[in-house]
Amino acid sequence: MSTISIENLRKTYGRYTAIDGLSVAIPEGCVFGLLGPNGAGKTTTFKCMLGLARADSGTVLYDGKPLEPSTFERIAYVPERSVLYDWMTVAEHVEMQRRAYTKFSVQRANELLAQFSIDPHKKARALSKGMRTATMVALAIAREADMLILDEPTSGLDPINQRHVLNLMINESARGATIIFSSHQIGQVERAAERIAVIDKGHLALEGAVDDLKADRKIVEGIFPDESYALNGVANDPRIARADRSGRIVRLLTTDGAPEFVNKLEAMGASGVRIVDLNLEDIFLYAVSPSDATADVVEGAGS
Amino acid sequence: MNYVEWLRVRNTLRVLAIVLGAFILIVLVLRISFNQYITEDNAFIKHIKLEPGATVSQSVLPDGTKRTTIKSPSDNTTVVIDNHGINGRHIVITEPLSKAHEHEHRAVIGSVVYNERNVGKMAVTTIDTNGSVPFLYYMAIADLAAFFIATVLAAPFARESDGHLEYALTKPVSRETFAVSVIGADLAGIIAASLMTIVALLLCQAMFEVPSFDFGGVNTSAILMGIAAPFAWYGLLAASTASLKRGYGAILGFAWPVAILVVVFAEIPWGDSLVGQLVHNVFWTISRIDPLSYISFTVDENSAGQLTGPPNFAPRLAIEFALFLIYSTLAVVQWRRVEA
Repeated sequence: MSTISIENLRKTYGRYTAIDGLSVAIPEGCVFGLLGPNGAGKTTTFKCMLGLARADSGTVLYDGKPLEPSTFERIAYVPERSVLYDWMTVAEHVEMQRRAYTKFSVQRANELLAQFSIDPHKKARALSKGMRTATMVALAIAREADMLILDEPTSGLDPINQRHVLNLMINESARGATIIFSSHQIGQVERAAERIAVIDKGHLALEGAVDDLKADRKIVEGIFPDESYALNGVANDPRIARADRSGRIVRLLTTDGAPEFVNKLEAMGASGVRIVDLNLEDIFLYAVSPSDATADVVEGAGS
Repeated sequence: MNYVEWLRVRNTLRVLAIVLGAFILIVLVLRISFNQYITEDNAFIKHIKLEPGATVSQSVLPDGTKRTTIKSPSDNTTVVIDNHGINGRHIVITEPLSKAHEHEHRAVIGSVVYNERNVGKMAVTTIDTNGSVPFLYYMAIADLAAFFIATVLAAPFARESDGHLEYALTKPVSRETFAVSVIGADLAGIIAASLMTIVALLLCQAMFEVPSFDFGGVNTSAILMGIAAPFAWYGLLAASTASLKRGYGAILGFAWPVAILVVVFAEIPWGDSLVGQLVHNVFWTISRIDPLSYISFTVDENSAGQLTGPPNFAPRLAIEFALFLIYSTLAVVQWRRVEA
């Protein structure tokens, strides 16, 4: 139903660069997970996408067009923290949305609130953190929007409601909506997202389809007889994303050609060489944890 | 688009309604308590210490008016009270001319018109209750409520910035449209506060007499001033808080004492010394942007007995509206630049 294209987005706060040249395309109808450590720039990215923060440079296009007020009829946003009005009841929030958006369904909103066991007559200040998040999610889903942007949509929810929110996102995607969400719960991202982008320190560290990333990326692990082994330039191969060494054990993160590196390690004297499949958490951690030092150590041992 | 602001207005007016309701209740209790003295002249007269030899006679005129006549031969004074019921009283006091009655005199206090004239060697004082009340009085009291509501509502943008921008700025309207609709809701609330107060005053007055208004003289313009001044005040506070995310409550709280002090310091003489003139000039200059400094309480009477404002009333009124427009524009400009 819609495509979002982010090109060269840059946002600074004084001397701090929150986003630095971020480019990513989110295909129509996709569930897109945005991952990154705390302070990586995920929320700032969302804010720049929605015009809540002014980007220093770069463009964000929705179906090829820049954001304009009418675009918000098609975008529903759930921010990371509660933005509900404490003094208003949940029902008044429902009415607020009904008046603001033409496609908002009061019936759907009430159904969703009932599913989360939220009393519409309660004031927002009386809701727990999880209930506030659930309320915001319900209000967003009931918009029947073409695009849902959800910043930590399961924050504070119990496991049952976390699962429920994930299912709602998947249902919305099945309806044709494009979903972009961030989460620190990588298991949730792995369960729901078709594509992911990993942001680290404002830069795009990794981006692609979850299945492709998992299929391409393998760990080749081997054990050397002693710690004075040399990799003979293996770590410099462009297909090696990084190489880690822990005593006699070496782990190579390959983006392609894992069996070839098995042979190379065995030729160098390593034993017990095996290919380890990666889950999304591994991929995330490898993408955002510092690699220069370990790579130097590995290469240094061989020099 | 501005449902939240309408709710804020509704909640604020609800508080005002409670206050006005309590006021009406107090007046009702007083009305019932004084019922005997208000409706029956006898009850009133028996509490007056009459001169020895004074007589009190009562009659009913053909139109139903109850007339009470008090004659005091010892001091040659006659009091005639015509009681027209809910339409008020017409009281005529005839007494010998004395130093206290050397000058003819006329005064209007609310619905009471007091006239004193000399006829030969006698002074004739006429007191009419239930006269037309200058609407200026209603508007002045209504403005207290309007200023209160304007102050409470005057930080709409700061309130949105205080944790709700993600809702306020993702509505399918431009920021300017949103801001103007928010201001519109608040202005409607300010006007509603004035109307509610006027209705409450009329209800209270109706417990004692049939209300009637005087819209002549400065009274019609006073309605406009009664609207413009709280609008300008609202605009000033909205512009002062539009870029704030927190701390706007302090500005709303301190605005009153500061604005009043600026007006007072601009008016009081600081002496002819250089420092005194400098202080005066500084405060006078600052007071030009203070909406309170254009509200005038100076009223006079024209030949028709109607209240008139100061000669520069029209420019003052125009400046109030201009200040409102300037401050509101400044608030909207700031709102356009707000970031979450």
